[in-house]
Amino acid sequence: MIDAPRVGMDYHSLNAMLNLYGPNGEIQFDKDKEAAREYFLQHVNQNTVFFHSLKERLDYLVEKEYYEQAVLDQYSFEFITKLNDLAYSKKFRFETFLGAFKYYTSYTLKTFDGKRYLERFEDRVVMTALGLAQGDEQLAVNLVEEIIGGRFQPATPTFLNTGKAQRGELVSCFLLRIEDNMESISRGINSALQLSKRGGGVALSLSNIREAGAPIKQIENQSSGIIPVMKLLEDSFSYANQLGARQGAGAVYLSAHHPDIMRFLDTKRENADEKIRIKTLSLGVVVPDITFELAKNGEDMYLFSPYDVERVYGKPFGDISVTEKYREMVDDPRIKKTKINAREFFQTLAEIQFESGYPYIVFEDTVNKANPIKGRINMSNLCSEILQVNTPTTYNEDLSYNEIGKDISCNLGSLNIALTMDSPDFGKTVDTAIRGLTAVSNMSHITSVRSIEDGNDKSHAIGLGQMNLHGYLARERIFYGSEEGIDFTNIYFYTVLFHALRASNNIAKERGETFDGFAESKYASGEFFDKYTDAAWVPSTARVTQLFADSNVHIPTQEDWRALKASVQEFGIYNQNLQAVPPTGSISYINNSTASIHPIASKIEIRKEGKLGRVYYPAAFMTNDNLEYYQDAYEIGYEKVIDTYAAATQHVDQGLSLTLFFKDTATTRDINKAQIYAWKKGIKTIYYIRLRQMALEGTNLEECVSCML
Amino acid sequence: MTPEKLKLVDHVQAINWNRIQDDKDLEVWNRLVNNFWLPEKIPLSNDIQSWNTLTRDEQILTQRVFTGLTLLDTIQGTVGAVSLIPDAITPHEEAVYTNIAFMESVHAKSYSSIFSTLCSTKDIDDAFRWSVENENLQKKASIVMEYYQGDSPLKRKVASTLLESFLFYSGFYLPMYWSSRAKLTNTADLIRLIIRDEAVHGYYIGYKFQKGLEKVSQEERDDIKDYTFSLLYELYDNEVQYTQDLYDGVGLTEDVKKFLHYNANKALMNLGYEAMFPKTVTDVNPAILSALSPNADENHDFFSGSGSSYVIGKAVSTEDEDWDF
Repeated sequence: MIDAPRVGMDYHSLNAMLNLYGPNGEIQFDKDKEAAREYFLQHVNQNTVFFHSLKERLDYLVEKEYYEQAVLDQYSFEFITKLNDLAYSKKFRFETFLGAFKYYTSYTLKTFDGKRYLERFEDRVVMTALGLAQGDEQLAVNLVEEIIGGRFQPATPTFLNTGKAQRGELVSCFLLRIEDNMESISRGINSALQLSKRGGGVALSLSNIREAGAPIKQIENQSSGIIPVMKLLEDSFSYANQLGARQGAGAVYLSAHHPDIMRFLDTKRENADEKIRIKTLSLGVVVPDITFELAKNGEDMYLFSPYDVERVYGKPFGDISVTEKYREMVDDPRIKKTKINAREFFQTLAEIQFESGYPYIVFEDTVNKANPIKGRINMSNLCSEILQVNTPTTYNEDLSYNEIGKDISCNLGSLNIALTMDSPDFGKTVDTAIRGLTAVSNMSHITSVRSIEDGNDKSHAIGLGQMNLHGYLARERIFYGSEEGIDFTNIYFYTVLFHALRASNNIAKERGETFDGFAESKYASGEFFDKYTDAAWVPSTARVTQLFADSNVHIPTQEDWRALKASVQEFGIYNQNLQAVPPTGSISYINNSTASIHPIASKIEIRKEGKLGRVYYPAAFMTNDNLEYYQDAYEIGYEKVIDTYAAATQHVDQGLSLTLFFKDTATTRDINKAQIYAWKKGIKTIYYIRLRQMALEGTNLEECVSCML
Repeated sequence: MTPEKLKLVDHVQAINWNRIQDDKDLEVWNRLVNNFWLPEKIPLSNDIQSWNTLTRDEQILTQRVFTGLTLLDTIQGTVGAVSLIPDAITPHEEAVYTNIAFMESVHAKSYSSIFSTLCSTKDIDDAFRWSVENENLQKKASIVMEYYQGDSPLKRKVASTLLESFLFYSGFYLPMYWSSRAKLTNTADLIRLIIRDEAVHGYYIGYKFQKGLEKVSQEERDDIKDYTFSLLYELYDNEVQYTQDLYDGVGLTEDVKKFLHYNANKALMNLGYEAMFPKTVTDVNPAILSALSPNADENHDFFSGSGSSYVIGKAVSTEDEDWDF
């Protein structure tokens, strides 16, 4: 695209000034605002196609196959006009340069030659609302209100694709099992290709695959183990790159007690041989409670051959609770085993995390204890926030399906905590978000991978996330991780859960349909509700009581929960899973939020992406007057982050992406301590470990905001 | 220039890292070891798409810039850092130089990784031929080589610091510029790792220079200072020519010159001298300046490479008290 001839500074330079102190040592927020303004003047306005009227615009976009006719056909033109006027009446403005830049580079509809813009932000919101509401005018209005109001933001694939005629899928997160046979492995690779092509991130569980040196057809030392499978997957993901837009992304999960575990971790070593080195695949380790017990006692930990375990127990290794069967398996001579020192295992884990940020960790027993659904959770996804049950698929020799099991897809969307607290109707905000997400599940049909399609049809699982916690707390002049900060997090998530369940219950009531397996869930038995009906959940600090009162947000009482429980037991709920808190990268920039419920990584964040280059982003609501509330994650330390997540975790049925931040003075022991602390506090998963290395004193740029300690 | 036999250390003692004479040696050694990396870590191939969006002129410019950098890193790896070893004041300083020398060779090799990933053999050969034929580049190399072979330890350090902190940057400008325009971002990650190393190298050699300077007479100090500034002028004049050769075609010369001024001041600061260029001519494009920061605050998504942040950590065993639950 062509930029208008510039008079002053270009917008990239203005934006970069955010990262450099002004003459009086202040952060130059105004330069970023100026950058956003210049971006529109120099670039966006010059390159946006002009239409005389809405009618002309829609006719053109449908005729040229930019918009899906079927989406618009569900509504009268009068209604669409009204909705359009509603969206534009809100006078939406991007708060930051990165917000605007990200939206126009990655989300908005462009002409096929990529040279001109066909949508403004309002148009994208209207089209998303029309698509998701599927003809329900009231829902369309509600969605426009919530999205343009900044309270609810659908995840990238949904917001990017809805209503476009040439589009990818509305969901982008998939989890697949691989079983211990060649058919399943090749299906897994095929599915990785198919799903990457459609823009998805794919996680695969490798725990069931027999280890290197295991027998094949009873002949010893035949199997090559999991490393070659990882290599195949890594290459598959690089190959499928969505018309060159971006590379596929994948993760693999392995049980800590799989015999190949150390080889698995070593693939990320800085000095690993090229043949076994894994560069772009993400790794995750599934750690049961027993591993912690063994480490505590200074014992060795046994690793069990999945091949033998499956023959002895008649089910795949990943579907066995290692904690429960550990002693039994150790004593069973039919199961081949090797051992490593448990503490050394944890230390190696930390070493690799230092070098690469990986692996993610799933605390298997914590996850399964908290799971209200019948079945076992044995893996997570690319962002470690999806935690759902799965079942194996079996194949015939020609690779056709014998029995289709259940694999996992998840569609996400997040609430902006600050603006949701400001919402005129908190319950309605949550309700609208749940309905929007449910629509995505109903509209998604991933026919290329049947186990995913069937899984979605049966479960209607969704993941309502949250972002801007740090921004909200700072705006209210509360420190992240303080007593009040944790108290707020607890009560907020508690209240969201209530409304999310009620919304799902209402949908079940309206449609006369629940998710498959509701009858066997802890929702149906009522057990799930015990902790809410047996005890009162109220704020423990005056400040938080005040915050909810000032926002007119009613905190559900035990009586409210009893009524909800009765209704759920009678009518069920529609969604097998309701909440999952993702790391929210891109959408938090558009939405002017701090990411997820993390503390900020830096006052001015440096964002690098293929399409964006290096761009600078100020934390939400930050001014030169409230900087003290914007301590970054490295200053805050892991305890407060974990305490905050623990408060939220108890009200979230799936997981929360939890990154831990360390200064480079940390050792592997510090990382191990943090893992132990997280596990003790009931955290379900750990996402990245991030380290900040400060420039050696004397080599840093003094002018630079993000370089300061 | 006359090929002289390189001087070697004539006396070696077993190096005892438990008797540190200068804490800075250990600090820098640890930093360098933590920063260790190899080019294979960066998924350069992710830049192929982006490389193909550059115009032919831009591609040629980029190749030339990298051959220029290759030459400098080769000098620094095979001659520069090695020539400092005999001058070392402490045995640990010698060890640090060997590390610096090795990393410079890693840098030189990284440019080849970039070439082999992005360009055809013919293009690579053309670019290397250009580097042999370009007068100003060759002059830059010969000036530095000459001083490395001279007899003053302090002057060698000056030459080395100017190389590490000043001469590289006319080349570093370009990948930073591309990355601020969302091009070749993985290549920029790699260059940023090099910058991270060079920043420490320039700082350390400059520091040792200042230590050495403390031990000589005022007269000699004045002499060295004159020498430093005149060498910098000589290099600067040549660098301006070189910059014009490279950047005139794409209209970036003015901006690169500001960047040269900025880094010349940086180099002088490392040597403990006052700045040479006033603030009015060091106002580097903020996008470039911000892109330089060698820190790990960067946030990136799965789809966009590995970033330039992770380090090799310090392994410490857990104790019983850690497992108290």
